[in-house]
Amino acid sequence: MITLAHMLCLSAILFSIGIYGVLARKSLIAILMSVELMFNAANINLVAFNRFLYPDSLWGQGLVLLVITVAAAEAVVGLALVIAIYRNTKNLNADDLHLLHD
Amino acid sequence: MTLPLGIFYALSALMIGFSLVVVTSRNLFRGAMCLTASMGFVAAFFALLGGDFLAASQLLIYVGGVMVLILFVVMFVQTPDLFRARQTSVRWIPALLLAGGVGALFIRAFCHIESPTELPVLQPTSTALGHLLLGDMAVPFEVISLVLLAALVGALVFGLERES
Amino acid sequence: MFEIGPLLIQAFTYARQFLTTLGATPLQAVVGIKFLQTTLTISIILAIPLFLVYAERKISAFMQARLGPMHTGPWGLLQTPADTIKLLFKEDIVPQGADRLLHLLAVILAAAPVFVCFAPVPWGTGFPLINLDTGILFVFAVSGVSTLGILAAGWGSGNKFSMLGGLRGAAQMVSYEIPRALSVVPVVLFYSSLNLQTIATAQMERWHGWMPKWFIFYPGIGQIAFIVFLIASVAETNRIPFDIPEAESELVSGYHTEYSGMKFAFFFLAEYVYVFLSSALVTTLFLGGADGAAFLPSWMWFLGKTLLIVFLFLWFRWTFPRLRVDRLMQFCWQFLLPLALVNIVLTVGWMMCKTPSQDVLPTQAAIPSSEMHGSPDDAGLTKAVEK
Repeated sequence: MITLAHMLCLSAILFSIGIYGVLARKSLIAILMSVELMFNAANINLVAFNRFLYPDSLWGQGLVLLVITVAAAEAVVGLALVIAIYRNTKNLNADDLHLLHD
Repeated sequence: MTLPLGIFYALSALMIGFSLVVVTSRNLFRGAMCLTASMGFVAAFFALLGGDFLAASQLLIYVGGVMVLILFVVMFVQTPDLFRARQTSVRWIPALLLAGGVGALFIRAFCHIESPTELPVLQPTSTALGHLLLGDMAVPFEVISLVLLAALVGALVFGLERES
Repeated sequence: MFEIGPLLIQAFTYARQFLTTLGATPLQAVVGIKFLQTTLTISIILAIPLFLVYAERKISAFMQARLGPMHTGPWGLLQTPADTIKLLFKEDIVPQGADRLLHLLAVILAAAPVFVCFAPVPWGTGFPLINLDTGILFVFAVSGVSTLGILAAGWGSGNKFSMLGGLRGAAQMVSYEIPRALSVVPVVLFYSSLNLQTIATAQMERWHGWMPKWFIFYPGIGQIAFIVFLIASVAETNRIPFDIPEAESELVSGYHTEYSGMKFAFFFLAEYVYVFLSSALVTTLFLGGADGAAFLPSWMWFLGKTLLIVFLFLWFRWTFPRLRVDRLMQFCWQFLLPLALVNIVLTVGWMMCKTPSQDVLPTQAAIPSSEMHGSPDDAGLTKAVEK
């Protein structure tokens, strides 16, 4: 039997992999991809809670639809920013982009 | 080890494997492809948990939309000789410790959570989700459309070539 | 008459009981039967491109006042097997600067999803492979995965022309998915269900006793939706007049350039199966699926209507010139998309004017329960999984 603990542990592992990706990667696109991983982990959590603890309602799945939409919008704007940065500086290394401080 | 549990372990092992390739690979295109596979497995988990509409939506929006967009940008921005550069900055040890710590904390908290043994039979969710989104969740639904409009306008503004 | 559907249901029920007597648990028996059904369906679908390639060559030839393949076999019937054997023996060349794994993965990603898409399509009385409640959404979602295959093919060839062709092809496919999905929304609104089986069986009624209630016959909304869906499907499958990404005279054959032998054959197989899938969808959504007079079995009606739409696809190829890339995008975003949106508004207007008592919307009672395939299977699977 798949229990709630199984799904939550899975999403916890996925979330921590996403955290490592955001902190340790250089390229902006790679950081964006790790953020998407974290979004997916949160979505699995939401659906698991909906299924196991509140099986009569569908609010968890509705919220997941909204989260998917927000994540897509965020990816769109983030990637537009990435393309603008690439056009200006030809460099997508997160360590080198510190124009606001020295 | 019953069949559903075996399927769960196999799917989650594959998904975690692909996610590890996403965060460690030097080749961004390969990383994006593995992220696509990872999202496909997330859709499989949604289906396993009774969200059939959600699984199809995840495939449609994430795999068919967002990942194609990310792959487009990777193809625009990367030249193949850039793939030999080291992708991980020097901060990888504290990052690993932090990520490992957070993961361990979550797992310790979730390991012994109680879950009910008697679950209702899975029902198709499309009609019920429709009633929910246009009934109780109508306000967030409309606000989300505004968020999408703002994202569209923002992306267009950033994407326009400025001729000054 | 010669109805295959109930026969197949009986056969698979006997097979499941046989597996249970051999000592399998109910869950294992159901999984085994689904495995068998899937293998059978994929084998039958794999046979379709054989006929379609030959049909395309012959029909194109007759439209161009020539004869087409005549040498190999009587009237050239053995041309496709001969071509397949030739392609099997060709050397598989992967360019040096290309990513070998990605080169192979692109073929798999472009070709595999279409077989999965055939699962919820209702072939006749009582037999879609799975009675999926989110049928049409599932088909759109899985067919969107093949866009990734084109991108990977463009990148994995290590060739600037291929990359440009891949980018253009992916942009075209992603753009045309939107009018395609939006043109189906009136159908879904009308029949209040995403289930392909429900939509097909709800079109089996008659006006005045003789006119079938197919969605294409509804004035205005049916025809607009049909045309938008047809054009968007032609664009999705990269057929002429929308085949900029793969045309031979543009971009040196686009993302196909570096593929030879069996991989090339697989791209073409995928394209023909996609054409067949799009025609099957048009038939199910707009032409009543397996609806027809009783002198032919229902699956023959379905096949006949689907092949008629496939003929339309082939006819378009030799009738229209190729669209330039920017005009292609303009056509999608500035014409098809507003047309599909207007169609949705018109449909809602129609539905609001007619009350349900004027039997515009079919009710659930119109669908006899014997038409529902797999209810014993599905109930058994659900109970077995929940144990």
